[in-house]
Amino acid sequence: MPQIFTASADTRLRTGMLLVALVFAGCLLFLGGFMDATYATLVGWVRDQPVPFSHAHHVGALGIDCRYCHTSVEVSAEAGLPPTHVCMTCHSEIWTGAPMLAPVRQSLATGTPIAWRRVARLPDYVYFNHSIHISRGVPCVTCHGRVDRMPLLARAEPFQMRWCLACHRDPASHLRPRDQVTRMDWSEWDRHPERHADFGRRMMARYHIEPAKLIDCSTCHR
Amino acid sequence: MDMDREARTPPHIDRRSLLRAMAASLALASAAGRRARADERALPYVNAPEFVVPGKPKWYATAVGFSGCAQPVLGKTYVGRPVKLEGNADHPLTGGATDVFMQAALLGLYDPARSQAPQLLGQAATWAAFDAAVAGRRLTLEARQGEGLRLLTGAVSSPTLLRQISDLLRRWPKARWHVSEPLSDANRQQAAQTVFGRRLDQLLRLDEANVVVSLDDDFLGAGPRQAPYAHRWSKRRLAWQQGQGASQLHVAESSLTTTGSMADHRLTVSPSRIGLLVAAIAQELGVGPAPAAPLAPTERTWTKQVMEALRASHGSSVVTVGAAHAPDVHAVALLINERLGAHGNTLTFIDPITSVPAPDDENSVAALAGDMNAGRVSTLVMLEVNPAYATPAGLAFRQALEKVEFTLHAGLYVDETARLSHWHVPLQHDLESWTDACSVDGTVCLTQPLIRPFYDVRSLHAVLDRWAGDTRSDHDLVRATWRHAWGSDFDDRWRDSLVRGFVADSAPTPVLPTIANRNVSIKAPTAGALMIDIRPDPTIWDGRFANNAWLQETPKPISKVTWGNVVVVSPRLAAERRISRGDELRLEANGRSITGAAWIAPGQDDKTLTVTLGYGADRTGPLPHGLGYDAFALCNDAGSWVLDGARLGTTGKHLVVASTQLHQEMDGFDFVRRVDRADRPVKKHPEAASFYPERKWDSPSWGMSVDLDLCIGCNACMVACMAENNVPVVGKELVEQGRQMHWLRVDHYFEGDANEPSSSFQPVPCMHCEQAPCEMGCPVNATVHSHDGLNLQVYNRCVGTRTCASYCPYKVRRFNWFENTGDDPEQLRAMRNPDVTVRSRGVMEKCTYCVQRISAARIASQIAGHPIRDGDVVTACQQACPTQAIVFGDVTDRASAVSRRKASPRDYSLLEEANTRPRTTYLARVRADRRPS
Repeated sequence: MPQIFTASADTRLRTGMLLVALVFAGCLLFLGGFMDATYATLVGWVRDQPVPFSHAHHVGALGIDCRYCHTSVEVSAEAGLPPTHVCMTCHSEIWTGAPMLAPVRQSLATGTPIAWRRVARLPDYVYFNHSIHISRGVPCVTCHGRVDRMPLLARAEPFQMRWCLACHRDPASHLRPRDQVTRMDWSEWDRHPERHADFGRRMMARYHIEPAKLIDCSTCHR
Repeated sequence: MDMDREARTPPHIDRRSLLRAMAASLALASAAGRRARADERALPYVNAPEFVVPGKPKWYATAVGFSGCAQPVLGKTYVGRPVKLEGNADHPLTGGATDVFMQAALLGLYDPARSQAPQLLGQAATWAAFDAAVAGRRLTLEARQGEGLRLLTGAVSSPTLLRQISDLLRRWPKARWHVSEPLSDANRQQAAQTVFGRRLDQLLRLDEANVVVSLDDDFLGAGPRQAPYAHRWSKRRLAWQQGQGASQLHVAESSLTTTGSMADHRLTVSPSRIGLLVAAIAQELGVGPAPAAPLAPTERTWTKQVMEALRASHGSSVVTVGAAHAPDVHAVALLINERLGAHGNTLTFIDPITSVPAPDDENSVAALAGDMNAGRVSTLVMLEVNPAYATPAGLAFRQALEKVEFTLHAGLYVDETARLSHWHVPLQHDLESWTDACSVDGTVCLTQPLIRPFYDVRSLHAVLDRWAGDTRSDHDLVRATWRHAWGSDFDDRWRDSLVRGFVADSAPTPVLPTIANRNVSIKAPTAGALMIDIRPDPTIWDGRFANNAWLQETPKPISKVTWGNVVVVSPRLAAERRISRGDELRLEANGRSITGAAWIAPGQDDKTLTVTLGYGADRTGPLPHGLGYDAFALCNDAGSWVLDGARLGTTGKHLVVASTQLHQEMDGFDFVRRVDRADRPVKKHPEAASFYPERKWDSPSWGMSVDLDLCIGCNACMVACMAENNVPVVGKELVEQGRQMHWLRVDHYFEGDANEPSSSFQPVPCMHCEQAPCEMGCPVNATVHSHDGLNLQVYNRCVGTRTCASYCPYKVRRFNWFENTGDDPEQLRAMRNPDVTVRSRGVMEKCTYCVQRISAARIASQIAGHPIRDGDVVTACQQACPTQAIVFGDVTDRASAVSRRKASPRDYSLLEEANTRPRTTYLARVRADRRPS
């Protein structure tokens, strides 16, 4: 009776198994890296919007406060997007005929909302609340980045759970004076850490912030 | 023991079907993956409505209608979407109490099966065509002073609707208005007519009654009066627990009800004997002749106990008789109550808020059917009624409909009547309409819409207004009523009433009628072999809620049957006839018959078969098909719900009944504990040492206490939980397999003798054990403990091993075996509570103590800069409970309401031998003697 397997069969099997293992490990490595790549986290990726609204112009150049448009940020979980009517408080007076603003005028005329594409988006199972962060003095810039320098808006931070947790585990260094939460430029503050060495700690004591409780799952997931 | 039934049924799987199942689940997995695409559009308002803050709920006071009465509610809305209804705590009658129907009205609003466009002869039509048809019809009617026009409605208490109807009848004097309300207080009103010479509504002041004697009156059971009566009854019982007065309940009934479950002394008795018992009490009190037949020994003992209690509490006791009993029984009960000093104290009278004519009245539905058959009806307008189904078979209403030239049905669904009518037009739900109605004490409730109608529908008022030749909106019509009533005060009172949800101080002053006729007596019972007792269904009433999936899946309080009705027989009768649970029975009476599944229940009279309304295997319409039997098919005429001379047989078939009675069964004993007196300590196991490290609990740390002496098993908590926590409905087949998803179940236990059992209810949410076994079991740390004492379930970590569920001794964890939510239509998605994650397939879930409400309260108090106060967090079940049986709060705060409850000597833990240190604990039921303590 002839041999069923040739002399090289065993080598071929071993090579095959090794290849499968390598491909599997490669996939894992790739996926791990992929989830951190900006392609997945969307950090720095500009999205097409119906109107190319420039935060750099409105915030950076004109100095309009965040809360002029995002009105509910201090009282609600949601910061809120401005109704078309708010855009038109100014744009019924200036740039009234600008082609760029045609969708805004059309929205007002037809009563249909402007369909913005979300930039700072969290999964449905994450319940982020703006009002409590604002009231504790976490400035807008911490999560949304220097929007005053973004002609078109892009995500500034990866919005991954470990990024949220980093702050919830150690909130002290992220706290700022409550009355300056919408301030964009904190370079002066960051350059002289010794002047504010105590600030975060004092705020933690004043607000009874206990990091151990901040990292309960139910803080964000319900 | 695993939680689910599939562990008990041996799997019959061969290799081929296993492979098929694997392929199918792979396909499902990829489908689920595709569905996970996120909605990335953000749509702000064009013009933001004033005071609407995205992410913040807004509350509106309104009401939902039931049997012609208003049930006051507060509606929670997110950017114009109602997501939850709660009781209106300011309402003078209900004080925030709710029932299953109030809670489930929300699903009624969003129901995708609602009728969405007018129909002519079953074909889609337009409102314009309908308006033209009405206009044409009006011309003929105008010429004949409305002759041939008949209006058929349910019971009506709405001042605006009453005004519209009377305007119409004044304009067309030959038209007539008929009322079809299968279950009403007509017999009580008729008794008042006999005794006082005027029709009156009776209201029990259960909060004032130390002794309540119920003769087949399930006043704590489902119905328009359940919430207020349960609320009043619990006030009395709570006061008794504090040592004030007594709280005795004596019940004689043929089938165990929620009221019977709460009774101190209960007698199982045939419905035909109720009259005798009433007569016996009347004789003892000297207000009537001796009963027409001698009492049985058990009946004599019960009557003796009742008499002792009644004599000891003059002026603070009341006797009440079930609405189904004949007017002469009610009339004698009125005389008894007068002698007891109840009139004006524990029993008050008001002019009827709704009026349902007696069967021999010319405005009854029976008279209408007669006129239809005689050809005296040319135009029939049926508003929010379903007479083709919900009328006694003896009236043959379906056949009579064919003799009418023009029939119009206006309703929420394309139901039996809609299908047999020429025209069907869809109506607005109460939660999207302007209307008004009275709650059962006569307080006027204004109903304002929580949302603009999202279908092409009209309000009932607007539809009727077309017949008056006008085109006013419901808003205009309701305002016109009150502008006329209030005159120059209108604007202020209108605004004030909308804010409150009711018109302040609008309840009529109770009248104290004088007895005009004492010459009433009770007819002797006919002694038949077997009787059929027809009752409303505790979750779908007379069938009007049949399309509400929350109510269908809510287990009936006693039998725990879902998605259908059963024929209840006593254990003795079952043994005699060799009937076992689920056997198909054939019931005959009046020469009519039905077939239904047998259900053997303790506490059932041996000669009585109890059946419920609302179902029917051949029901048409959008309703679930093939469920149960139709008890209307047994009835000859309206108002006679007890049928004599019944015959019982079996068909040899066996039917599947989806009952949750034995699902989520716990191993152990002593689930419901009893004590002899409210201040006696309950028997407890000494607390054992734990292997796990003790934790110190910081304030706040949450806990719950459930008083089993107050729980009436009404299920309001269960439906409230479904609404609040986006709990999915799974359907009859999966319930049958033990896969229902209710986070909170209400267990029911029988104890003692099968003929005279004592029974009790036990709501079982997650226990939030301090030493939680589930947490030890989870391989991926998806169930963990929080610092405020909650046992958390992290859905996005859960991989579905179900280890936690098998470790849980209380069996409160629910697994999503299928994608229960992903295929939901748009309407149901709009209904979901945005504060709670919608779970997907393969994920374990359970009661969270309404963690979303805790978070909201925590954030609000942190922003305001004060600690969370007692009462800031009210869980959905606690809010819904009409008897305040559930209390929730911070257990580390010794002054909190929950700590005070837990300090009671009656406090005990479920399965404390498991040493899990549960945060949900119970207060033991108090045995029998409820005399002044």
